[in-house]
Amino acid sequence: MTAATRLDLARALVIAGIILYVPANVLPVMTITVTGDVEPLTVLGGVQELYDSGLWPVAAVVFLASIVVPFLKLVSLSWILLLHGTPHLRPQRTAVYRILHQIGTWSMIDVFLLAILAAVGQLGVLASVQAEPGGMFFAAVLLCTLFAAEIYKPSLIWNPDGDPQSAQ
Amino acid sequence: MTSSFEESDSRWLECRLCRSSICDRPLQRGEELRCARCSELVKKAGGAASPQAALALAITGLLLVGLANAFPILSFDVAGNTQSNRIITGVFALRDQGYAPIALLVFFCAIAAPALHFATVAYVALAGCLRVMLPGLRRAAHAAEILESWSLAPVFAIACVVAVVKLDMLGTVNWDSGIAWIALLALCSLSLAQVFDSEAIEAMMGEEA
Repeated sequence: MTAATRLDLARALVIAGIILYVPANVLPVMTITVTGDVEPLTVLGGVQELYDSGLWPVAAVVFLASIVVPFLKLVSLSWILLLHGTPHLRPQRTAVYRILHQIGTWSMIDVFLLAILAAVGQLGVLASVQAEPGGMFFAAVLLCTLFAAEIYKPSLIWNPDGDPQSAQ
Repeated sequence: MTSSFEESDSRWLECRLCRSSICDRPLQRGEELRCARCSELVKKAGGAASPQAALALAITGLLLVGLANAFPILSFDVAGNTQSNRIITGVFALRDQGYAPIALLVFFCAIAAPALHFATVAYVALAGCLRVMLPGLRRAAHAAEILESWSLAPVFAIACVVAVVKLDMLGTVNWDSGIAWIALLALCSLSLAQVFDSEAIEAMMGEEA
């Protein structure tokens, strides 16, 4: 794959991720029904519920992993791609990319949480957990950011045309 | 410790991040060699990969993947009705609810990728231990590198903790034995990332050849 193709693909994925981020956070990810009480939950709604119950450390973990990390990934990938081909802030861009790569997959907590809750929430009218379309959008955002980070290699920050010696 | 550089010849190392070349030199104990351009770690004294440790952890990981999938993780009780789950139960539940893409993602990241990652690492590490150029070694090393990013056992372990906290607000929830295996699997996965260096093993095999 050429450097230009990688750049185009990464840009397309980041733009798709930004568009999908809106429904991922606005639409409910799941609906929990316990003894007749029906509660649709968005990603932020789930965090709010945990916080209101006094479980703020868990709420903080979910907030960071499910809301802050995907948002920061989209913003920082956009910044890295916007500066592509320029000599500005190359060490900083590389450092940001390194951090992105390390923390990016932690956003999967919410997807796994949905799977675990859907698995145990099969008690008919007593308790049920139903996945909602927001979960699909959320998973799509994560995949867009993960693939964009995989496709845009950090070496392209230093060698925009793919030539290892170009920025030496 | 995973080196970020691959050895191109006996005197020069190449940065995996920015692809610049840097002159190799012997390091004193505790010393590090970093890329002058992007400051990525190039080489660490005493940081060479240990194929024996990687092989042991990979085989242990494979066993733990089996155990983590065989036993229930937790059980949820509402008004005397109990439901327990294993990792695969969530995959089937999502599929049955019409969310097959999410089910596939969960299956891949929580079950398939960890198993494949441990298997490929075991294969590469075995080649390193035996000092034999096994067929498809380079492909296996490349696959191990890719699968490492998608092997999310530690993230699944944290999700289990969050799920228990959330379910505790709705009914009675109890841990089952599967959670212990998942926790051990997560630890094994994190430890393997520290000791396995496919490029160092490949370089070692190249020197042998």
